[in-house]
Amino acid sequence: MLTKQYSVKVFEVTLEDENEFIAFFDKNYVMFTNHLISIYGDVSTKIENYLQEKNLKYIINTELPKNRVSKNSPKLQEIEIEKAPQKEIKKPVEKIQDNLKVIDKLVRSGQELKISGDLLLLNRVNSGGSILIEGNLIITQIVEGDIRCNGNFMMLQASSKANIVFHEVEVDNRYLQDKLNRVELINNEIRITPVLKETKWA
Amino acid sequence: MGIIIAVISGKGGVGKTTTTANIGLGIALNDKKCVVVDFDIGQRNLDMILGLENRVVFDMVQVMDGEANLKQALIKSKISPNLHFLAASQTKDKSVLDSEKIFKLVTDLSAEYDFVILDAPAGIESGYEHTIEFADRAIVVVNPEVSSIRDADRAIGILDSKSQKVKDGSEVLKYLIINRINPKMVQSGEMLASEDILDILNVPLIGKIPEDKGIIDASNQGKPIILDTNAAAGKAYARIAARLCGQEIPLENVEEPENGLMQKIKEMFA
Repeated sequence: MLTKQYSVKVFEVTLEDENEFIAFFDKNYVMFTNHLISIYGDVSTKIENYLQEKNLKYIINTELPKNRVSKNSPKLQEIEIEKAPQKEIKKPVEKIQDNLKVIDKLVRSGQELKISGDLLLLNRVNSGGSILIEGNLIITQIVEGDIRCNGNFMMLQASSKANIVFHEVEVDNRYLQDKLNRVELINNEIRITPVLKETKWA
Repeated sequence: MGIIIAVISGKGGVGKTTTTANIGLGIALNDKKCVVVDFDIGQRNLDMILGLENRVVFDMVQVMDGEANLKQALIKSKISPNLHFLAASQTKDKSVLDSEKIFKLVTDLSAEYDFVILDAPAGIESGYEHTIEFADRAIVVVNPEVSSIRDADRAIGILDSKSQKVKDGSEVLKYLIINRINPKMVQSGEMLASEDILDILNVPLIGKIPEDKGIIDASNQGKPIILDTNAAAGKAYARIAARLCGQEIPLENVEEPENGLMQKIKEMFA
């Protein structure tokens, strides 16, 4: 006999309004692809077909063994999920370099650079200026404006005025202030490493 | 052909019009023929600062529309025969401006004068775009504070993309004037230092003007501060005008508070 023991994440939901249920899953189903959905209530074939179509695993009106059951409140808490991923995080281009552009131009307030590949900027980004880039980004002078980057990595130094968003996550620019920093996405985590260390000559 | 210079700032109230009046007069006092044109249609002020408000009969919109000829509309300054002034319309608004007419006006003026100085309106709308459209050079006036710097940065960005010179593949020469420097506040770090401003804007400095209470009175009297040879701001404007006329004058450090005794000791050892 072959046995295995593991835990599964369960998402419990009570079904009251079919339309509301479908609307909720239309928006959030991506989050539950690795969950077991435990539904309480009258589940019609319409709902079942819908869940199968979305390839979601579910059980209906099944009492699951669990440690912390709130018996006093049989009605389950409503869950509001605010930050639903509208789209899955795009896998960044695997290539280390993609159509590199080198620009030595001051990005002034109100100016916007939209770039699909990689960019090496040899000048400042002033407060009010912005760069929207799908590839990798290196800026050798200080950034005081807005950056939206979806590449593998960014290397930059930013002042406290800057607004830096990397893969739709705002990067705390306290970590970017002193030196040139390498910002990269590793296993869905943003990692910031300062790269310019003071060279100490013995 | 004379040089067409637009005086710009982005933000209002930083001293564009005062700068235009003083530099225009300064150039005229350097024996160059100069005309200053108020492009702030609907909100003219330059006439008052030059003390010529009671002399305005025709304005530049009437000239552009052919209702008056240029000679009739140009007002000669009481202070220097080399300086002329062309008023903005006070009744119309900036929508009357039209590229072709402006081109004709500024080319006619630059044929007659060594310097044509255009006082741009504040902001970055069509009135501003028309002012910079045919400029050869631009004087950027800023105050040492962040909002003025950002607005100037935006104005320079527009200048670098929308002026005719840039469209022709050339470049508009730019000069920076840092106005209203309060030496004490710079020393204590409350005001942005000139080096930081130059870093951000990347425009060569042509002069720094210290804050001077005399400027308000000078404007009210219609006698630009450059005529006051004792005023620090007046001297600073005179130096800028001379630099524009091609004289090499080293930049003075207006950020150090003047100290009579120290100054004298320095001079003794110099």
